Amino acid sequence: MHIPDGYLGPGTCGVFYLIMLPIWTIASRIVKRTLNARQVPLLAIGAAFSFVIMMFNIPIPGGTTGHAVGGVLVAILLGPWAACIAITVALVIQALLFGDGGITAIGANCFNLAFVLPFAGYYIYKTISYKTPISSRRRVIAAGIAGYLALNIAAGLTGLMFGIQPLLYKTANGRALYCPYGLNIALPVMLGEHLLVFGWVEAIVTALAIKYLQKHSPELLAEGRRIE
Amino acid sequence: MKKNARKRDFIERSLIGILSFLKGSLFAEEHALKSGFMQSLDPRIKILTFAIFIIATLLAKSILLVLSLYLLCLFLACISKINLGFFLKRTWVFIPLFSLFIALPALFSNFTPGEELFSFKFAGLALVITRPGGLTVLLFVLRVATTVSFAVLLSITTRNFELLRVLRIFRIPQAFVMVLGICYRYIYLFIGVIENTYFAIKSRVGTAMRYKRGQQIVGWNIAFLWVRSYQLNEDVYKAMLSRGYSGEPQVLNNFRSGLRDWLWLIFVGVIGICIIRFFH
Repeated sequence: MHIPDGYLGPGTCGVFYLIMLPIWTIASRIVKRTLNARQVPLLAIGAAFSFVIMMFNIPIPGGTTGHAVGGVLVAILLGPWAACIAITVALVIQALLFGDGGITAIGANCFNLAFVLPFAGYYIYKTISYKTPISSRRRVIAAGIAGYLALNIAAGLTGLMFGIQPLLYKTANGRALYCPYGLNIALPVMLGEHLLVFGWVEAIVTALAIKYLQKHSPELLAEGRRIE
Repeated sequence: MKKNARKRDFIERSLIGILSFLKGSLFAEEHALKSGFMQSLDPRIKILTFAIFIIATLLAKSILLVLSLYLLCLFLACISKINLGFFLKRTWVFIPLFSLFIALPALFSNFTPGEELFSFKFAGLALVITRPGGLTVLLFVLRVATTVSFAVLLSITTRNFELLRVLRIFRIPQAFVMVLGICYRYIYLFIGVIENTYFAIKSRVGTAMRYKRGQQIVGWNIAFLWVRSYQLNEDVYKAMLSRGYSGEPQVLNNFRSGLRDWLWLIFVGVIGICIIRFFH
């Protein structure tokens, strides 16, 4: 899901930086307005948390492993705007310090993983769980469904970004300059692997983490704990 | 036996991943402390010039131009006293090799029609590699490898805290400024926490476990990492107060740039301008 440099053309990278600029500004203003001084480290620790979630290998049937992105879980725990900042910081650190995800693609990666994923996941979770008590089983199911759907929405958008590259950038004789596959290949491939494997990993991790928090630290799931 | 070994190892895989990640990061700091060319530059100028290199690589349409930039990157690694073997391994594993793997089908006429270069039969299927297919894959993989190489060279020749401090000097919203500074340190702390937890689980379990049990363990670990994070928040806040935190972050800016930094910026700027003109 982390798009490296060289997959997207310069125009696409620029457009997603431009789209993300107002989102980052709004997120920064909302979080600054609602964040009390005591919660400042929580946001940073949330960013570190969203970074390390990706390091947990989750066993899947057949003896192999996958990893979750954790964007929906962070959004449920911190609220979507704070999650946007936390995941952006995690993605910037990943790109700059560890070369994971492109520097020119930070805008596009943040749009998919720090904006679409947490916002879609958070509102799906909120809609399904509605006003049920914190300990309700419905919240666990809501978290799972939110994780699954939001990751697939983000994966679909990534496939879309890849798929439009041969249409936007090609040489005079029609050769693709960046991602070589069109929408007819990029979109089904990205969606297929996430619908069949990674979406389920995200759903399981999000649901199980919420289930354990319900049982052992329900106060951390209370609405007032979020930075909104 | 082999199958069982493969199945039981999700904890071990995590441990190996985390450990190699830690070692890689420590190793990277080791390179940043060497007295090479890149290490001697002002980090602000270095970030700016590497951004120019990466954007130039993205804009370049010709394979020869991208190859020239890649060779320049390898030369910069050499004069920065980076072992070439280490650098090639670090840059090619995993992203460029993965890119090569996913780009391979584009070699064939089914995906990229055009002039035939080479044909062969595989499992009864006649496969044709085309000239446009070969050029597309070559440009794509070379571009990815070049941009990854520049990004990795920047990160391994710059001390991590300097790299993040440079970001803080630019006009980035305050919320991001505060979060960046604190986050980086806690990543290492959390990796240690995960590592210790997995060692503890492995020492108690000691045998194969079903994947469902494994998933429960991972879910439990993630949830409790958050519980610990929340508890840690209060301690960190008190530590910040004791060091004089008043609600506004203070950014130190003690970078110094000399003649060599400016000459380097001019040199890279000229390359960038030439490539942009070429692109248009």
